[in-house]
Amino acid sequence: MRNPTTIEPVPGRTDEMIINMGPQHPATHGVLKVVIGLDGERITRAVPHIGFLHRNHEKIEEARTYTQIISYTDRMDYVSGLQNELPFILAVEDLLGVEVPPRAKLIRTIFFELFRIASHLVWLGTGMLDLGAITPFLYTFRDREKILEITEKTAGARMLPNYFTFGGVRRDVHPDFFKDVAAFLDFFETRLPDYYALVLDSPVFQARAVGVGVLSKERAIARGASGPVIRASGVPYDVRKAEPYDAYPELEFEIPTREEGDVYARFWVRFREMEESVKIIRQALEKVPKTGPYKGKVPPRVKPKPGARYRAVEIARGHLGAYVVSDGSEYPARIKHRSPSFANLQLIPDLFVGARFADAIAILSSLDPVFGEVDR
Amino acid sequence: MSLFAEVWDAVKAVAAGLETVHRRVKQPPATEFYPYKKPEIPPVSVQFLALIQNEDGTDRCVACLQCERVCPSQVITIERKRNPEGKGFVLERFDLDFANCMHCANCVEACPVSAIVTVGEFEHAVYDINFLKADKAFLDHIGHEAKIWYSPKFGVEMRTPEGKIVKAPPEMQPGGLAELLKEAEGGEGA
Amino acid sequence: MSRMPLPTERLVQPRLVGYDPTRPKPWLERIAYALFFSALWVMVVLAYGVVPTVFRHYGWLKSPLGFAAYAVIEAVLAFLLAAVVALILIVVLRKYLGKVQERVGPMHYGPAGVFQTVFDALKLLGKEDFAPRRVDWLIFRLAPAIVFVSAFLLMVAIPVAPGWLIADLDVGLLYIVAVSTLGAYGVVLGGLSQGNKWGLLGAFRAGAQLVSYEVPLAIALLSVGVYAGSLRFVDIVEHQYGLWHVVPLFLSFIVYLVASIAELKATPFDLPEAESEIVAGYNTEYSGMSFAFFFLAEFVELFLLPGFMVLLFFGGWHGPLFGLDPTSFAAGLLQSFYFLVKVAVWVWIFLWIRATLPRFRDDQLMDLAWKGLLPLSLVGLLVAALFRMFLEVL
Repeated sequence: MRNPTTIEPVPGRTDEMIINMGPQHPATHGVLKVVIGLDGERITRAVPHIGFLHRNHEKIEEARTYTQIISYTDRMDYVSGLQNELPFILAVEDLLGVEVPPRAKLIRTIFFELFRIASHLVWLGTGMLDLGAITPFLYTFRDREKILEITEKTAGARMLPNYFTFGGVRRDVHPDFFKDVAAFLDFFETRLPDYYALVLDSPVFQARAVGVGVLSKERAIARGASGPVIRASGVPYDVRKAEPYDAYPELEFEIPTREEGDVYARFWVRFREMEESVKIIRQALEKVPKTGPYKGKVPPRVKPKPGARYRAVEIARGHLGAYVVSDGSEYPARIKHRSPSFANLQLIPDLFVGARFADAIAILSSLDPVFGEVDR
Repeated sequence: MSLFAEVWDAVKAVAAGLETVHRRVKQPPATEFYPYKKPEIPPVSVQFLALIQNEDGTDRCVACLQCERVCPSQVITIERKRNPEGKGFVLERFDLDFANCMHCANCVEACPVSAIVTVGEFEHAVYDINFLKADKAFLDHIGHEAKIWYSPKFGVEMRTPEGKIVKAPPEMQPGGLAELLKEAEGGEGA
Repeated sequence: MSRMPLPTERLVQPRLVGYDPTRPKPWLERIAYALFFSALWVMVVLAYGVVPTVFRHYGWLKSPLGFAAYAVIEAVLAFLLAAVVALILIVVLRKYLGKVQERVGPMHYGPAGVFQTVFDALKLLGKEDFAPRRVDWLIFRLAPAIVFVSAFLLMVAIPVAPGWLIADLDVGLLYIVAVSTLGAYGVVLGGLSQGNKWGLLGAFRAGAQLVSYEVPLAIALLSVGVYAGSLRFVDIVEHQYGLWHVVPLFLSFIVYLVASIAELKATPFDLPEAESEIVAGYNTEYSGMSFAFFFLAEFVELFLLPGFMVLLFFGGWHGPLFGLDPTSFAAGLLQSFYFLVKVAVWVWIFLWIRATLPRFRDDQLMDLAWKGLLPLSLVGLLVAALFRMFLEVL
């Protein structure tokens, strides 16, 4: 039987070269493999292959208790680790009927936005590495390091902290936390102009990005894209506004949107999102009580009532959802994660075909997939 | 004329980028010289697990099997027997397979007596994966060597040079802010 | 047996030998760079100053035997100079990139890691020079040699001070255009012969890029020739005594700057070896010393192309002489020093650009060459001719 995912050479067509990009290719952000038909430098066909990092996440989680699962959800999108815990926790909280204290909500929101900045910084660095500039990579990783240090001090780990829990957070924040975060925001605001100078305003970058990989609004909606990808195509969809969770209803922020849908728009949206995150964290820092409860009342044995619940959050890559079916026991009956990178990655054949090979790299880095989350 | 304006803008933008890069020459490097200069790990950080013994050398662990139960990776193996001298249990075996441990610290969360704790010790790379199986003697040793550790029940604890176990000052405790603020208020009041 | 080793029982204990990177000593680094620069200067003085002067003074060049001896000695000296240039430039590049990227760069071998390249070269020498089974063996082996030889031959044409040059070519400009084009062959053949699709793509890109940028580069050189009225480097430098060519020939200078970065395959134009796109491009399958020769050639060119730029546009060895006779040996020393300092400044600017900009796309590269630089270089040629006309009339 013919494998539908491979590209067969067209008989009689000699000007097409079929080439395997990945999974060891330096610019595939992990383990993506794309089989590409190349006519010179122009891509004629593209078939993405995923699954090299498949770990059977959902099945493993069905065999764990609710408390144990939280530490697995971290491992999906390891670049924005902490953000991945939230949809599952929100769903279970709904099933349990737990009340989350407002202080815990604000702490969660601060961490959530810090990790958005961290994730966007990783994306910015690696994306510029794909476009041939080495220097921004090291700058962004230095800045991200500060976020990770703040996280480690309070949450107990740098990337996969397992910090959020049902009804709030696991432990109270470190005494220096609010001071550190405010200092980081001040520092980060001095660094942002540098990124603008090195990336968005750079004429070479603009030449590479403007008008490349244009994604129409209709196509983005049809493929289920979310996050900065769909907002760059002119759809102002953001879970933080559409279905607000945690402390977002009480905070003011904008949804940066752009109509062009090209690589430049996706870069621009993520830049603006970092600025918005800074704004959100500043508001949350003003609102958060310095002391108080950090966790609601949760029974020691987490046994939600039978039922099903779907909750979603807006992580750095888009709409991350968790569907939890409970049968009343300690173990969930079924868990389904809806991951944004997986949906965004489906755009590859649409965007790659007709682009130049160098454009394909730029498009891939503007989609910003993380394969822990794509393959789960 | 617009072509010249465009070119001029591009030249200005490139110059701004060059200036941004050049400004960094004077900055000290962000490099951490790891094996020569060890980073300071906050005690909350889940780098390694250890078993803490009381000051008199008895186990804090009461062999309640909570950690074994909550471990998502099922790396903890405990064997226990009834305490011949009184009620409760004593440990016979406490094995922790660090090869499979995912450092979620659920066991630390679950421990009712703060026996298993997180410590800042982190240099445990080995050449053979079988070496990553830790037994009770090893975990006791790490706990004995540890200067500072954390568990949710007792917070951050320290071992003084004399071997006494004391609670760390509130500047290091998670949630120590409440105490600090109260102290500051008291100071102002006095 | 199956017990975790305690921290005290670890097999490898970190230990520091020599320079301590945790306590940086900037003065030591500066002394090292000063020593590097003087080593380069000594090599240049030997290769371009002492040996040619001695041979010419005694008239040995007229006999065939003397000429052969001269050729052999100069070849050895030039090779050593190339090696020294590459060793220095690689470590300078890495340290400079480290500085601007807020990190340290190489730090272990020698003071502040300045001998890193020596050890890298030793490592490359010790590695297996592997060739995959399906390569076109002869061409695969020949390509690095072609690339290196083309860079190496360029060294012959450079004058570093009045009378200090290996070969006084009447057609120096033509010579560098001809020889530097040879390097494109090596790159293209190396990419094509290795039977690797990434190599093939790299060879395509390299061929298109190097050939396209030869054209504006050659026209920019030609405009200098027109303005100076000679293709000889010595004459061109002498012609700049009143005014450096960068002022009247500014357009040609811009064209030369951009085209020489493209010739170097440095960052805004590093498409032939863009590692995030086509893995390693034309040198994907090369390893060991074959790879080292590509690398060596790249860094020798990083020295030579700014060198030509200084000769053509920045007055070569011009500088204050403090009343010395320009043809004396002491003046030669001083003038070669000026030349090297100017080259060093331009090498720094090249590295700076490399640290800042992202990469162009292949079609934009072609657009820039054919729609941007070629017309600009023609205008530059016209300007040069006009200035020359005024010069003649006056």
